[in-house]
Amino acid sequence: MFKKILIANRGEIAIRIARACHEMDISTIGVYSTVDANSRHLWHMDETVCIGEPAPQASYLNIKTIIEQARRTGAQAIHPGYGFLAENALFVKACEDAGIVFIGPSSKAMILVGDKVASRNTVKRVDVPIIPGMEASSTDLAAYRSMADQVGYPVIVKASMGGGGKGMRIVRSEKELEPSIAAGQREAQSAFGDATVYLEKYIQNPRHIEFQVIRDTHGNVVHLYERECSIQRRHQKIIEETPSPALDNVLRAKMGDAAKSVIKAADYTNAGTVEFLVDHNMKFYFLEVNARVQVEHPITEMVTGVDIVRHQILIAAGGELEFRQKDISQRGHAIESRIYAEDPDSNFMPSPGKILFLLEPSGPGIRVDSGIYQGWDVPPHYDPILSKLVTLAETREISIARMSKALENYIILGIKTNIGFLKRIVDTEKFITGEYDTHFIDDNEEALIPQHDKITQALVAASLVKTTRNAVFAVQSVAKSGQVRHAMTPWQELGHWEICSR
Amino acid sequence: MKYKFEHLNKTHTVEIKKSDGGYQVTIDKKDYDIVNYSGHDNIVSFKLNKELNNIYYAQAGDTIYLAVGGDYYSLVLERGNVFKGTGAQVQKGDSVQSLMPGLLVKIMVAVGDDVKEGTTLAIVEAMKMQNELRAPRDGIVKRINYKEGDQVEALKPLVELEILKND
Repeated sequence: MFKKILIANRGEIAIRIARACHEMDISTIGVYSTVDANSRHLWHMDETVCIGEPAPQASYLNIKTIIEQARRTGAQAIHPGYGFLAENALFVKACEDAGIVFIGPSSKAMILVGDKVASRNTVKRVDVPIIPGMEASSTDLAAYRSMADQVGYPVIVKASMGGGGKGMRIVRSEKELEPSIAAGQREAQSAFGDATVYLEKYIQNPRHIEFQVIRDTHGNVVHLYERECSIQRRHQKIIEETPSPALDNVLRAKMGDAAKSVIKAADYTNAGTVEFLVDHNMKFYFLEVNARVQVEHPITEMVTGVDIVRHQILIAAGGELEFRQKDISQRGHAIESRIYAEDPDSNFMPSPGKILFLLEPSGPGIRVDSGIYQGWDVPPHYDPILSKLVTLAETREISIARMSKALENYIILGIKTNIGFLKRIVDTEKFITGEYDTHFIDDNEEALIPQHDKITQALVAASLVKTTRNAVFAVQSVAKSGQVRHAMTPWQELGHWEICSR
Repeated sequence: MKYKFEHLNKTHTVEIKKSDGGYQVTIDKKDYDIVNYSGHDNIVSFKLNKELNNIYYAQAGDTIYLAVGGDYYSLVLERGNVFKGTGAQVQKGDSVQSLMPGLLVKIMVAVGDDVKEGTTLAIVEAMKMQNELRAPRDGIVKRINYKEGDQVEALKPLVELEILKND
């Protein structure tokens, strides 16, 4: 087994991985950009290394520096987490060349499945249905136009290296095609460092259901059942649950087998996720393979009892799976809510800034994978995910009630978050009945926008605070008229960051 | 005590008085009786219409952040008529600014360009999300205060426009 692992990520996932390492008696090396010198993931590391400036390209996407630091610190393996370099085949190759184990699939399998176009070609061979679309990306607009004409609008433009909805655009008419491709390329370049996009038929109102698969280097492959990921906003998953309320055991078994055959066909090892779209007639289509540990992996861990990150490390070290398919079952019902720093009152604009007060929920069946702390300044440079709240209960009904209450008891003040929005989702009738698809957020906009019907209570509380808690504030004289007060943003107050201060 | 709080561009007038059993609070001319009040550093609790409320709060400057049963509020205390809330605006007169701090990904115009209302002037990215800044009206680009790749601050003029006069 490894003695030392470098964790090439930040935030809650870096902490999640460090926990697994420490339980396995492996020491951890954390990395950080200059703006992350005070970030919480570093508290969970045995050693920490500054890898550069805040811009992702200069730090968390900097392959050369990360490999160098892994070598220098004597790390035997690198865990990439999700996002950043997690699905970058060049990085996997660089690890292999440097004699460092990449905790994930081989570069060969990564190239095959990590590239969405290549993966479609692989899947075709094993009798798993795919969505009609381009078999290769192109630099020629005419190629996109002719494929769109062939499959018929609406079509969808996707980043070849993509995931999480970044670089994705739905195109409803030929007029929208060119600007959508350009916007998709821009976003793809910035999120994945590769501007390649491709095009396929857009399946309307589908459910998004994925299967977690795990395969060792000895040929053993097991699926850990599905995750229902249809609750999405702008193609970004925000709530996931397992089991899916849409699947029966026959379809579940069929999709599980399909997922395993995709993984085997790609000679993919380690943990991977096979994503499917399921249409109204319960027909399923292969969407893509996510060659990484996923944001939503905890719900699978909750219902199967399998520690996915621990098994990623075991498999990367050449170990054999400790269980077979017959040993795995789903017990209870798990839900995950992703807590993001974004403002539902202003069109979900990112809301970086200082966390003034933090209280995280706890109790039976509650798991919080958090990357934040009170007093921390959330930087504007990275993904807005702050933490993940997961509930487990014996039934779906109780798990939803538990989530609703846990969200109510998740208090983050000082920055805007989507907590209230998430609570309204799980309180919605359509969510409770389980009859939803990927358009749930758009279709239920009215019920989900903040009503602020507790403004009276808020104003009462504010006036009580001002009167009884900080009276000094209340009697402070009013500035003379004509004297303009400037509200300082936290950014103005921050001043300059010291390079690699730590 | 009398306060003015701004919430999402709406101003609420609140007057609070001690009463026999607790406090009387008048909000926008409507009276409420508050009993069983207790206040602590980050939580206050009280009964309003016989219902118990436990409300978490935190303060920074003139802003008070509150969590009320899963609903979130940021109230800005107004002081006289000098400083009117945050009133964050994308356009102030003839300049265009980003609402959020972030990376200036692209400038789509040059000084001297004639732009129509709605023209995308620049793209700013924060937390992997790109926002387009558009011209508030027709005009000519007078000044650009940042260059591509710069980190821009929120609410600082990014592109300044000379507005064409109507005859």
